Amino acid sequence: MIHLVIYTEAFFFLCLIMSFIYMAYNAGFAPRELSRLDIRSAGVYTVVLIASSFTLHFAEMGYSRGKPAALKAWLIVTIVLGAVFLAGQGTEYGRLIGDNITMNGSVFGASFYTLTGFHGLHVVIGLIILLIVLILAFLGDSRSAIRTIAPYWHFVDVVWLFVFTVVYVLPQFSSI
Amino acid sequence: MPQPFHIVLLQAVEDPASIQAERINHLFNHFNIVAALVLLLVIVLAAWFSIRYRRRHGDNSEGSPKSGNRTVEIMMIGVPTLVLAWFFYEAFTVGNAVMPSSNPTRPPDIVITGHQFWWEADYPGSHVVAANVVHLPVGKELLMELRSADVVHDWWVPQLGNKMDLVPGKKNYLWLTINKPGDYIGACSEFCGEQHAWMRIHVVAQSPEDFSRWLDSNAVDASPPKDDLARAGEMLFQTRSCANCHRVAGTPAAGVAGPDLTHVGSRPTLLTGMLSTNERNLADWIDHPQEIKHGAYMPEFLFAKDSVLALAHYLEQLK
Amino acid sequence: MGATIKIPEPASPFPGLGVETEQGLLQWICAVDHKLIGIMYLVMSLLFFVIGGALALLIRVQLAVPLNHFLPPETFNQFFTMHGTTMIFFVAMPAIFGFSVYFVPLMIGANEMAFPRLNAFGFWMTLFGGLLLYFSFLAGGAPDAGWFNYAPLNEKNYSFHKGIDYFSMGLLISGIGSVATSINIIVTVLHYRIPGMKLNQLPLFVWMVFVNSFLLLAAFPSLNAALALLLLDRELNAHFFNTAAGGSALLWQHLFWIFGHPEVYIVILPAFGMLSEVFQVFSRKPIFGYAFVAASSVAIALLAFGVWAHHMFAVGMGNVANSFFSAASMLIGIPTGVKIFNWLGTIHGGKIRFTTSMMFAIAFLIEFTIGGVTGIAFAIFPIDWQLTDTYYVVAHLHYVFIGGTISGLLAGLFYWFPKITGRLIDERAGKWFFWLFTIGFNFTFFVQHILGMIGLPRRVYTYPNLPWYGTLNFVSTAGAMLMGVSGLVLVYIIWRYGRSGKPAGTDPWNAYTLEWATRTSPPPLKNFEELPAARGYRAWWEMKQSGLDGGAAVSQKEIEP
Repeated sequence: MIHLVIYTEAFFFLCLIMSFIYMAYNAGFAPRELSRLDIRSAGVYTVVLIASSFTLHFAEMGYSRGKPAALKAWLIVTIVLGAVFLAGQGTEYGRLIGDNITMNGSVFGASFYTLTGFHGLHVVIGLIILLIVLILAFLGDSRSAIRTIAPYWHFVDVVWLFVFTVVYVLPQFSSI
Repeated sequence: MPQPFHIVLLQAVEDPASIQAERINHLFNHFNIVAALVLLLVIVLAAWFSIRYRRRHGDNSEGSPKSGNRTVEIMMIGVPTLVLAWFFYEAFTVGNAVMPSSNPTRPPDIVITGHQFWWEADYPGSHVVAANVVHLPVGKELLMELRSADVVHDWWVPQLGNKMDLVPGKKNYLWLTINKPGDYIGACSEFCGEQHAWMRIHVVAQSPEDFSRWLDSNAVDASPPKDDLARAGEMLFQTRSCANCHRVAGTPAAGVAGPDLTHVGSRPTLLTGMLSTNERNLADWIDHPQEIKHGAYMPEFLFAKDSVLALAHYLEQLK
Repeated sequence: MGATIKIPEPASPFPGLGVETEQGLLQWICAVDHKLIGIMYLVMSLLFFVIGGALALLIRVQLAVPLNHFLPPETFNQFFTMHGTTMIFFVAMPAIFGFSVYFVPLMIGANEMAFPRLNAFGFWMTLFGGLLLYFSFLAGGAPDAGWFNYAPLNEKNYSFHKGIDYFSMGLLISGIGSVATSINIIVTVLHYRIPGMKLNQLPLFVWMVFVNSFLLLAAFPSLNAALALLLLDRELNAHFFNTAAGGSALLWQHLFWIFGHPEVYIVILPAFGMLSEVFQVFSRKPIFGYAFVAASSVAIALLAFGVWAHHMFAVGMGNVANSFFSAASMLIGIPTGVKIFNWLGTIHGGKIRFTTSMMFAIAFLIEFTIGGVTGIAFAIFPIDWQLTDTYYVVAHLHYVFIGGTISGLLAGLFYWFPKITGRLIDERAGKWFFWLFTIGFNFTFFVQHILGMIGLPRRVYTYPNLPWYGTLNFVSTAGAMLMGVSGLVLVYIIWRYGRSGKPAGTDPWNAYTLEWATRTSPPPLKNFEELPAARGYRAWWEMKQSGLDGGAAVSQKEIEP
């Protein structure tokens, strides 16, 4: 079932990414604004998010090997890493807004906040569900909820790789 | 070429007056023949099978258990594919003949800008700026550039051929080779707001000599007012904010938000065909525009009756 | 066939609801039973059909004569926008979901959908989305930029009042319902089939709905993205579609039509499925070319994503793009045409019973072909350049939507009426409805092809007194009035015979698929206690032939259409 959710959300992100690229080529993004992106710090937070996929995988292994302690521990680490990613996004947003790059100020602003914002929203949803799974684990519930949330979380990470590439990496190489 | 669908004589897709319209009409006729045959086949089969295989009273048996025939299936895929391949070839050739390029290098002969809810026509190379009634010469391959000042509009004159959108932020192009002089009616064909229905098009196609004469007579400044009432009207026009939206060449009025009024008196109709051009209608329009064309950007000015009559008198003389 | 299989009961009993409970309105509001939810979808669809139809009648009154003053332009524009939006999102889609959630479990031998509460959630989201959209009438005006709502006309500076915001929110909400239901359908078909019913031998209605669900899950995200970006523009002053600030009017069109074109296949594929069942049962024959009908549905679903820009031939994309989309649009006509000939092949050699249901099916063959060939006219892009955005399109779309989807839904309604209500309609009343509707429909829309060819653009609140404009419009309005009357007859038929028609028994048509195997009509709360392992897409028929039905089948001669 979760794979169907991933299937439909994949199309949603495809549309948002294509819109971002369309806006980049249509009116174009101001180089001044693009240069305000901090690829280094975004890169660090990317690593954090990718790490959270690995820790979630360890949590899932803990579940399937009947080791609830491992499940709970790695779940906590995953949630913390996800929260760190969001905090990083938040500081990036704060810095950019301070630089006067806003949703309504420019086409770049609108496109950037929309694409990264919808991704962030999916991270928030994932964190909420991970928290619920964690609470269920603490209550001794042995149902396989983690098997359902794991593909979703990995999907959110993969989407971030695409978003990171399109928003942070590609502008370094092309002249949009 | 026989015209099997020649139902009406006026202003139809089936009544082409340009080379582009002729090519499309030709293709459309081919298509109509094939489509009619396909439809006839389906109707005949459906009717025949319905009658032939209807259940007779008291017969409760099943139908034949046959449930497929590979040959028939392949034919049903193969034959339509061949027919459509032929139409694709026609589409490709006619499409490229009618629209040789969407990024032409030569300058356009006329630039049409769409506004809510009127048409602006600029003739590069001369200083003529007209509105709503578009004069064009016959016999030449004209390049028309299409732009929009606000929302998406669409230029369509059926007898002159294909339509083309006017998209804000984009320049589009149409080729027109009109072959008969005459009046051709069209309409905006992309919903553009409240008065989309009254953004109609009137093209006056003229012989090259007549067209030049028209161009020259429209390139001159507005004729000065001939009597006191008209002079009063001109003064009102210049001082009471009409000039902010409307241009009258040769006077300080240079507004571009509304239609150019330099030669408004010589246009056959107002408001893209809603009213004939005469003093009475001009007065009504100035007096209560929102009652006549609600949603147009002409404000309700609340002029005094005398002012309205003076303005109308002045404008009617701008020929 | 092997031993019978016990059909599993849902894991935990529904809280507070006994099996025979009758709690009135509360039962409906709390319903998670797929049959109750199916009925709610169908009632919702009928309600919005009457409202959307009333809007159409008002539009046709305004257009009956030239230069009419019945409706002011702003009201007219709100009415045609709401008419289109209602018919697609709140009539066609709920009707399809209603039949799907009611009959897919039954036809695969299951007792419930995979996720009953998600099923209810899907229904209520669809309903609330519709109510939110209609609330706009009370909140400053309904949306008025057309159902495809082009930019930049849909931006705040051109559409000041809140109608378009209600449009965006209403469609986003009902879209969530659609996505939830599609996921539900896919999981149900994948995991709840009775053993022996293989995926490549599903009844065609189930197969079409299954394929359709994948199509829907891929198409709706594009609409959601478009609406999200529009709301950001309108509420937070972003500039996605605002050309004056660097946005793109065409981005809206691409995002919308990437959804919009698959959407029309989303509303037709289930109708194709219903018609496939109807043609078989009322010709007393298996479907002609099962594999081709099933495979062509997949072809249509895939190709649906390659044709969207045929709605944009006139925006100036250039002839390379135009040619590509033209070829793809012609290509998609082929699997569709294949089906028409397969249905004709089904009735060939049959013993046709002209029930009301079958009459709609046969009318569909002709009407949908008309709609289909005019669609090919548009695929030939130079012809599109003359006819797009005219009444020729209005004629085309109504022939495929009404002649196609609605005829299919009506064929399905009259076919399944005895199973849902347990009663038969009076076939004479049904025939009256059929003829009023069909004659009215054809009078309304056939002349619109001609109106388009003589220069009448679409979405105009009035037109000048040019030759034939008044006459043809008047004929069209007269036809619409006839359709309006037929709508009343439909409501009467459903009301009267749903409550007091002749009892139908479990299998009045001596049909082929498992929904007719329930021990009562309407089916009991638990659909099946046990069933033999099924085989083929006519599982119930196979069971009856092998005597496994315990003689439950009603003898055919008791029913005379």
